[in-house]
Amino acid sequence: MLNYTLRRLFTVVPTLLVLIVFSFYLMRLAPGGPFTSEKPLPPSVMANVLERYGMDEPLHVQLWTYIKNIVFHFDFGPSFSQKDRTVNDVIAQGFPVTLTYGFWSAVFVLACGIPLGIIAALRHNSFWDYSMTGLAIFSQIFPNFVLAPIMVLLFTLSWGLLPGGGWNGGQWEYIIMPAVALGTSYMAGVARLTRGSFLEVMNSPFIRTARAKGLPERTIIIRHALKPALLPTLTYMGPVFVYMITGSVFIDVFFSTGGIGQDFIDGAYSRDYSMLLGLAILYSVLTFTLNLLLDLAYAWIDPKVRSKL
Amino acid sequence: MSLLSVNNLNIRFRTGDGYVHAVNDVSFDIAKGQKLAVVGESGSGKSQIAMSIMGLLANNAEAEGEVLYEGQNLLTLPSAKLNRIRAKDIGIIFQDPMSSLNPYMRIERQLGEVVEQHEGLSRSDARKRVLEVMEAVQIPDAKNRLTAYPHEFSGGMRQRIVIAMALICKPKLILADEPTTALDVTVQAQIMSLLDEIQRELGTAVMLITHDLGVVAGFCEDTLVLYGGRVMEAAPTLDLFDAPGHPYTRGLLRAVPNISDASASLAAIPGSPPNQTRAPVACPFAPRCVDAIPGCHQTLPELTGDRQQRACIRPVEELT
Repeated sequence: MLNYTLRRLFTVVPTLLVLIVFSFYLMRLAPGGPFTSEKPLPPSVMANVLERYGMDEPLHVQLWTYIKNIVFHFDFGPSFSQKDRTVNDVIAQGFPVTLTYGFWSAVFVLACGIPLGIIAALRHNSFWDYSMTGLAIFSQIFPNFVLAPIMVLLFTLSWGLLPGGGWNGGQWEYIIMPAVALGTSYMAGVARLTRGSFLEVMNSPFIRTARAKGLPERTIIIRHALKPALLPTLTYMGPVFVYMITGSVFIDVFFSTGGIGQDFIDGAYSRDYSMLLGLAILYSVLTFTLNLLLDLAYAWIDPKVRSKL
Repeated sequence: MSLLSVNNLNIRFRTGDGYVHAVNDVSFDIAKGQKLAVVGESGSGKSQIAMSIMGLLANNAEAEGEVLYEGQNLLTLPSAKLNRIRAKDIGIIFQDPMSSLNPYMRIERQLGEVVEQHEGLSRSDARKRVLEVMEAVQIPDAKNRLTAYPHEFSGGMRQRIVIAMALICKPKLILADEPTTALDVTVQAQIMSLLDEIQRELGTAVMLITHDLGVVAGFCEDTLVLYGGRVMEAAPTLDLFDAPGHPYTRGLLRAVPNISDASASLAAIPGSPPNQTRAPVACPFAPRCVDAIPGCHQTLPELTGDRQQRACIRPVEELT
C-alpha cells in the first residue's frame, strides 16, 4: 500500500509539469494581456511595466523562471492585477475559506444523502420512497445559482435567520447557506445513487446467504450491505468534491465569502497569468490528492482491489 | 415422525404478465437422517421449494399450503422465530459459491457470525468452531486461511466454505440446492463424497436438489421427480432407476448418455418445458409425452401408489 502511494506520488511531478507548460502557452496564445486597456499605454511605460514583471524576455525563459521560482522558493509570482499581492498571498487568504465551506458542504451531502437513500431503499415502492425520489429529482434540477438567491430571500430577507453573505472569520451561521446551496444538488445525487446501489445489494446472493444464517435484518444491513452499497457513492464523491471546490465560483461571488472563486474570475477577466496558473496548479494538486485518497479508501473497503495494489 | 412435512405447497410469482405458477400442489416428507433427492429440469420449481422452506422467496412470491418443521408452519412463522430455525436447525447450501459469499468479509467472520448469532459464542470460541468446521470440510491449511477473503479461494474451496457455513451449527436438515452445478466435474465428485461423509457422521437429513441424475444415484435413498412444478414420481431411488414408473422419469433416464455405446445418439425428450402462466389443469408433461392418450390432456393425475408413487393415468405396463 505504501509502495503504491509512493508510486502514485511520483507521477504527480511529470503531470504537473505538463499541466504548467500547456496552461502557460495556452494563456499566452489568448489575445490581450494583463496590461491591455482601452487607452493603450505609451510604449515607454509599457516597456517599463513588462520589464518589471519579466515579460520582456522570450516565453521559454519566462516559463523557466516561473518553474524555478516554484521549485526553489515555492513562489508562484506576483499577481498582475492585484497590486502588491503575490499569488501565494491570495491563495493563503482565499483557499481556506473555500475549503472550509466546501468541507462542510461535503459533510452535508453525505450526512443527508446517504440516510435518505437508505431509507428510500428500505421502504422500497412506498410513500417514503416516492417522496424521497421526488424530492431528490426536484433538488437535483436546482442549480446553486437558483437555490442561493431563493435561500437568501427566505432565510435572510423574510425570516432574518441567517446572514445573507460575508464570512466573518468562518462562524457557523456564515457557513450554512454557502454549504447547503453548494451541496444540495449533489446531495440529491448521492441519495439517488445510494438508493439504487442499496436496492441492488439487498437483492444480491450474498445477502440471501446472510438471511439464511438467521441474522436479524438490522445486522444484515449494517454488517453485510452497507459497505458494498456505499462503494458507488464513494466513487461519486471524489470528483464531486473537486467540482464543489472548483465550481464554487458562483457561491463565492454571490455570498461574498472572500473565497478563491472570486479571484479566479477576476484573474480570468484581467489576464492575470500568474494567478490563473497558480490556481490551475492548486486545483490539480487537489484533484490528485482526492483521487489518491479515494483509491486508498477503495482498497480499504474492497479486498479484491487491495490485493492488486 | 417426519422432521419436515411439506403439504400441498403452491408457489406462484406475480409478474407483469400475470402469475407464474412455479410449484403446484407439492407434498412430501423428510424423516430424521433421510436423504431425499428432488430432481427436475430448470424451471421445474425445485429451488423454489427450498427457498420457501428457508423463508427466502422473492418479494413477488405467494406461497400457500404448509411447510411443517417440528409442528411449526414455516410459511407463516414471524421472521424473529424463523431466524432461530435458519442455519441452526435448517442449513442451506446455495448453487453458486462465487456469489453467495460476501466478497467484503473475511471467511472467519462469515462463518463465525453464524455461531455467534445462534449459540452466543464469543469471538475466540467462534474462531475455534470455524477452524473445526473448516477442517471438517477439508480445507487445507485452514488455520492460516481464516483471515482470507472469498476471492482468494478456488471455486471448489469456496463451495466447501459454503458447506461449512451450512454445517457449523450442526443442523438437523440441510437443503443442498444444486451444490455441484457450478463446479468442475472432478471437483463435483469430491464435494459429493464430502457431503456424504459429513451426512453419515452427523446423521443430518439432506434434501438434495439437482438436475443431475448421476449425482442422485449414489447419494439419496429417495427421489422426487418434479415437472412443471408438480410431482411426477416419488420413490426409493433404486426402484426408480430400476423401473421408472412415469413416462417423464423414463425419458430422463434415457437421456443420460450411455458411455459403453459410443455410437448411440443422445436421446432427448422432444418439446420444451411447459408454459406456467396458468395453474395446470391436466398433466403438464402430456404435450411432450410419447405415451399420452386423449385423457392425459384433460385430467390432472393424482399421485398414487404405495412405495413407488406416480402421477400418471396410464398403468405402468402400457408405457413404452
